[in-house]
Amino acid sequence: MELTRLPLLKSALKSRYPQLAVFIVMLVGYIFAILAGLIGTPVGSHNFSIVFVWIGWWAILILVAVPFFGRGWCAVCPIPLPGEWLQRGAILSPPDKKPKWLNLRVPKMFRNIWLQNISFLLLALFSSVLLTTPNITGIILAAMLFTAIGLSMIFERRAFCRYLCPVGGFIGLYSQTAPIELRINDKQVCAKCEGKPCYNGNEKGYGCPWDVFPGGLTKNTYCGLCMECLRTCPHDNIALNLRPFAADLAKPSARMDEAFKAFIMLGSAMIYAGVLLGPWGALKDAAYNVGSGAWFVYAAAFLAIIFVVLPGTFRLMIFPSPIGRGAALSPSKGAGVRAFAALSNSLIPLGLMFWVAFSLSFVLTNASYIFAALSDPLGLGWNLFGTANIAWQPILTSILAPAQTLSLVGGLAWSARTAQRSAQEAHVSSVPVVVYCFIVTAFMLWLLL
Amino acid sequence: MAWILLGLLAAVVAFAPLPALSSPPQARTLRQGSAQAFEIDARQFAYSPSELKVNTGDTVTIQLVSADVVHGLYVDGYDVSVEADPGQSATLTFVADKPGSFRFRCNITCGAMHPFMIGKLTVGSNDWLYRSIGFSILAIIGILLFPRSTPITNYQLPPTDH
Amino acid sequence: MNRPELLARLLIIAGILLAVGAPLYLWSRTPLIHARMAEAGGWTPDVLQAEVGKPLHLKITSDDVVHGFAVGQMDMQSVDILPGKVADITLTFDKPGTYTFYCTRWCGLNHWRMRGTIEVSGSLSDPSTRSGQRPEPGAVPLYVSLRLDLDAPHDAPSIPPNKPSAVNGQQFTDELPITNYQFSDYYRSHSPYQVFTDLSTTPLTESQRWDVVAFLWQSNTTPESLVNGKRLYAQNCAACHGENGGGDGVFADDLTTAGESSMQTMAGAMDMAMQAPTDFTDPRRMLGASPALLQGKILRGGMGTGMPMWGSIFTEEQIWDLVAYLYSFQFEYHP
Repeated sequence: MELTRLPLLKSALKSRYPQLAVFIVMLVGYIFAILAGLIGTPVGSHNFSIVFVWIGWWAILILVAVPFFGRGWCAVCPIPLPGEWLQRGAILSPPDKKPKWLNLRVPKMFRNIWLQNISFLLLALFSSVLLTTPNITGIILAAMLFTAIGLSMIFERRAFCRYLCPVGGFIGLYSQTAPIELRINDKQVCAKCEGKPCYNGNEKGYGCPWDVFPGGLTKNTYCGLCMECLRTCPHDNIALNLRPFAADLAKPSARMDEAFKAFIMLGSAMIYAGVLLGPWGALKDAAYNVGSGAWFVYAAAFLAIIFVVLPGTFRLMIFPSPIGRGAALSPSKGAGVRAFAALSNSLIPLGLMFWVAFSLSFVLTNASYIFAALSDPLGLGWNLFGTANIAWQPILTSILAPAQTLSLVGGLAWSARTAQRSAQEAHVSSVPVVVYCFIVTAFMLWLLL
Repeated sequence: MAWILLGLLAAVVAFAPLPALSSPPQARTLRQGSAQAFEIDARQFAYSPSELKVNTGDTVTIQLVSADVVHGLYVDGYDVSVEADPGQSATLTFVADKPGSFRFRCNITCGAMHPFMIGKLTVGSNDWLYRSIGFSILAIIGILLFPRSTPITNYQLPPTDH
Repeated sequence: MNRPELLARLLIIAGILLAVGAPLYLWSRTPLIHARMAEAGGWTPDVLQAEVGKPLHLKITSDDVVHGFAVGQMDMQSVDILPGKVADITLTFDKPGTYTFYCTRWCGLNHWRMRGTIEVSGSLSDPSTRSGQRPEPGAVPLYVSLRLDLDAPHDAPSIPPNKPSAVNGQQFTDELPITNYQFSDYYRSHSPYQVFTDLSTTPLTESQRWDVVAFLWQSNTTPESLVNGKRLYAQNCAACHGENGGGDGVFADDLTTAGESSMQTMAGAMDMAMQAPTDFTDPRRMLGASPALLQGKILRGGMGTGMPMWGSIFTEEQIWDLVAYLYSFQFEYHP
């Protein structure tokens, strides 16, 4: 169903003003969060930065934005805005013909999501400190803002979002499951279109900030839903569609960076569930005391699980021996790698649901902090909305376990279905993938329930 | 037809009693309502012991001993809590009448990792976990036995870069 | 530049200035006193100024764990200082002097180091009472006037076979001329063992004499005093000395470990080393100590052993209540 057929929605998306209004609110909120982190109370559960970023924003991102709107968050994210405005030398005006800054192209070796995998892991290894320390959260938020500005000065378009943002990587990966997509209506129109203004920009708007040619879109991963192409397309050929969930996964990509992103996210969700929500104090100590011997062991174990244990087991299960059935069926070694990468795609729905199940527990338990932080964001004793003294109280604890089971079993079924399709394409049996999914799901159930 | 069968099986998994996992009747009557006392040592950011197992119907008494700063202990699902200062241990008593697995957690801010100071209380057996694993098995059996009826054809694996 | 562009730029610059300026401005106008664990800095600031008769308004927040605030030797309810919350406290002093404020909720091994001072200036309208919270002029603590050596060994040479009972002891008091032992001056300056030896002129058996001692100790205190002492003990002493006085509080092991490691590093300065907390259930130690000696130890503290000095915090009354309670670990009192 084409959402852009709705005249009201279409004009709202085409106009720059509604988006600008959201941008300003987001940017002000973001800068306030940085400041709150730096000058507010060091007690995380009473500081705006921690509560609004890691409880409020995270809940909306994982439970609503990503599953239902894909890169919807990226469409309103304030981080690239100052850099982008400086890069363009304008906020609303049509772009100049001459680039204002270096406007370099990102080198080919970085045009993948490996940097995003690394930046996510860097944050993940320090997450216990990051999640609980307002100072650190403030510094990281500020660092992302300034890195984005710096990269906008050096490279063309949104280099930060596309290649470095630690969050962008997994939003992109999981946006493939979302029931919303930006696509073109008619391939022929694009083929004949002169100048490709959606990519190069025209007087109506800017060339795709995400370095994507909309005419070639087959999956959501790298489309930031910024709506520039909707504005620039002279042929009205851009559409925002409602579609079945996970439609992109029918056409699995065979990229190793994305395959490993799937393992990184699956593994991190399990490690977080065990470390943060589990009853094992020694694990929490190791994760929190960054720089201690125990932390190095923890970090090494973290990386080993993500890069060796999970993908290694997966590899062994789908191709039991190097010259086993899978390899024998595959004409070349490259095909084996491609099959591995394509089958890893079936872990995407499961990974997303792992994060949903983990976040449900964390968010429902701590959501009540939002009220207090709203009224006293810096911990200075204010009571702006009269909610400063609302005590901590977990909410909806009775539905937590059923909701987690529903997410995990649903994710398992979803991934198993996806695996069947991917396996068919790769000419291998889907059974090992399904069994693999079952094993990790059972483990996650044990960790959470 | 097959889906109805699977649905019925799911209902069985969800609601059937788990005979192998509940204790035999005699033992149950003996044990039911007995008193269970624990002394839990709390320090930043862990409880010790951090995993408690009791039988359904037991009267559970937890003596909370804080060993560094003021800590609390709140039991999810039961919504009961206790707070203890170092040197002033405190006692929480409640009847564990709801079976299942529950987190207990610190409810007095006790430093950075406070939100993750968590322990686990299992009342009776953790049936919901076994049932959830049962659902998982049913789900994959269903999917493996009844593959998608409309396979996607005319699709080629995309080529790799090299 | 066209109009919308200009407007958008102004709006964004205004928004950024607001997001940065408003919190910074409001933050700079809210001076808070920060409470942190002693290792992380204790109270900041830890010296406050006030004037006699003028209300002192304090806004205190905790940056880590639960703390409490109270001023020593002042009749005030302690106020909890909760993490991320701000407590408003108003104090009024009617005498000049230096007051000690301290943390009232245990916040680690070094909780008792979390102290600060309030310097109250100004003069009294009524000149008959001088020098604020210090004891009345001339009223030096009893242990000083008795010239007790607080650090000398004071073990009782012999101890009773069972816990002495005040109920049993009372039976003998009618027949014996022991009224002079009941004066508070005598009680405070003598250890239970000294009284036990003083009673050796009586025809009582040893265990009967210990019972009489128990009775004497109880008759020199009141139930209210014991209740008060018990409360003070639980709040301030039990974390090290144990909830049942056994010297086995939650920090006892840490103190012992700290003591052992400091003995290795500063050999020769053993007096200053941390020690395991005293076991109040040990009769040798307790029955050989007079109330004045215990008062001195509480008042002065352990000078490096890990025992805090309480002189600037407890009133004299409170220390005697505490001392009375400490002996209840040795004696069986009337219900």
